[in-house]
Amino acid sequence: MILENLSSRVRTGVAALALATATVAAPAPVHANDLLVAPTRVVLNGSRGTEVILNNIGTEEATYRISLELRRMTPDGGLEEVEIPNEIEESALAMIRYAPRRVVLPPNQPQAIRIGVRAPEGLVDGEYRVHMLFRAIPRPRPAASEAESAGEGFQIRLIPVYGVTIPIIVRHGNLTATAAIANPRIVEEDGVRAVAFDMSRQGERSVYGEVTVTRPGVDVPIARARGVAVYPEITGRTVILPVSEEFQGALAGPVRIQYREPDSSGGGLIAETEAVLR
Amino acid sequence: MKKLITVFAAGAAMASFGSAANAATATADATAEILQQVQISKTADLNFGTIVPDDTNAATVSVAANSAGTRNCGGLTCAGAASVSSAAFDVTGANGLNVDVALSGLTSLTSGSNSMPISLNASSTTLAMTGSAVALYVGGDLTVAANQPAGTYDGTFTVTADYQ
Repeated sequence: MILENLSSRVRTGVAALALATATVAAPAPVHANDLLVAPTRVVLNGSRGTEVILNNIGTEEATYRISLELRRMTPDGGLEEVEIPNEIEESALAMIRYAPRRVVLPPNQPQAIRIGVRAPEGLVDGEYRVHMLFRAIPRPRPAASEAESAGEGFQIRLIPVYGVTIPIIVRHGNLTATAAIANPRIVEEDGVRAVAFDMSRQGERSVYGEVTVTRPGVDVPIARARGVAVYPEITGRTVILPVSEEFQGALAGPVRIQYREPDSSGGGLIAETEAVLR
Repeated sequence: MKKLITVFAAGAAMASFGSAANAATATADATAEILQQVQISKTADLNFGTIVPDDTNAATVSVAANSAGTRNCGGLTCAGAASVSSAAFDVTGANGLNVDVALSGLTSLTSGSNSMPISLNASSTTLAMTGSAVALYVGGDLTVAANQPAGTYDGTFTVTADYQ
């Protein structure tokens, strides 16, 4: 049985890692198609462009494809794929230029992806956004594994294609936005208590920043999250922040919730509220 | 966490050339820009092992979307337990940031003209970044028909980590 498994696994090449650790000394794991992207968010004001770094952090050469995707924020703060783009999303796709779109990288070889904006004449003031997707193109499987005969059973071969998207935001015109926090409450998810609240947004652009929930007189925040966005397509969303273990028991009581811009944008206070959690 | 550091030493060359003449006033503009980064790596493939279909009954074979990747054969004869695993990915990002996880809708596997329904699920829809690798697991349910023809069934699925 073991021998039979061994041969079938060697032939398909699936789960070679698990096999190696179970029987012989493990060879270095094959990390094909792994990737690194920096930064994780781009905001462009005016026509000046920027660069995003893509690095092959795998152990084999890989071919990466860079494409533009559309996402819309849902009321729970998730991002969902857009099936039928609206006018704003079409404009965003049309004005963002980038190169290269396909790149072959040896391991540990970074590549800069240049991003620019060409705003058409008479573009309506507003915030335009796309999500840039970086992912590797899977290699074709070796021909040997195609000539597979699985006897009376069968084999499943699933090929994952995985990647990362980062928002590319273009702000055209002098845009403002404000946000407010309401209805702080205690919720429970999978047995872990969390602080939830509603974040509303007004204005022509998104808001983005760090949320901290603190208790008066206590230095360590009860909960915090960076990178909390409310995008222009919605006027509000729910924010749920898991609470650290030391505050799980005594969560009820007075709290201050603050929403601040990232330090890189000045760290200004966007919204603040004081409430008593029950 | 490793930081990706881009160094622009725009004024450095100029400063070294001019150092003899105006050593007292030479300045070097060196700017190090530290960027937030994200990494995604695959650490394991989703593998159902070997499954022997039943003569009369259809059955669902599942692999759990967690680190154990436990297989439930739903009454069928299964082999190759050692190779069974959930797909695993490591996502690494700056501490405190959240990423949304999108899993594409792979619904069917094919082997030549034969097919087999599948549904995939991920261990979470949001990952809270910690600065070190955070694991994401993908498992699935495979619907095996009675007398499902033998062969190697292929399918491609996509996993995307979306930054806000």
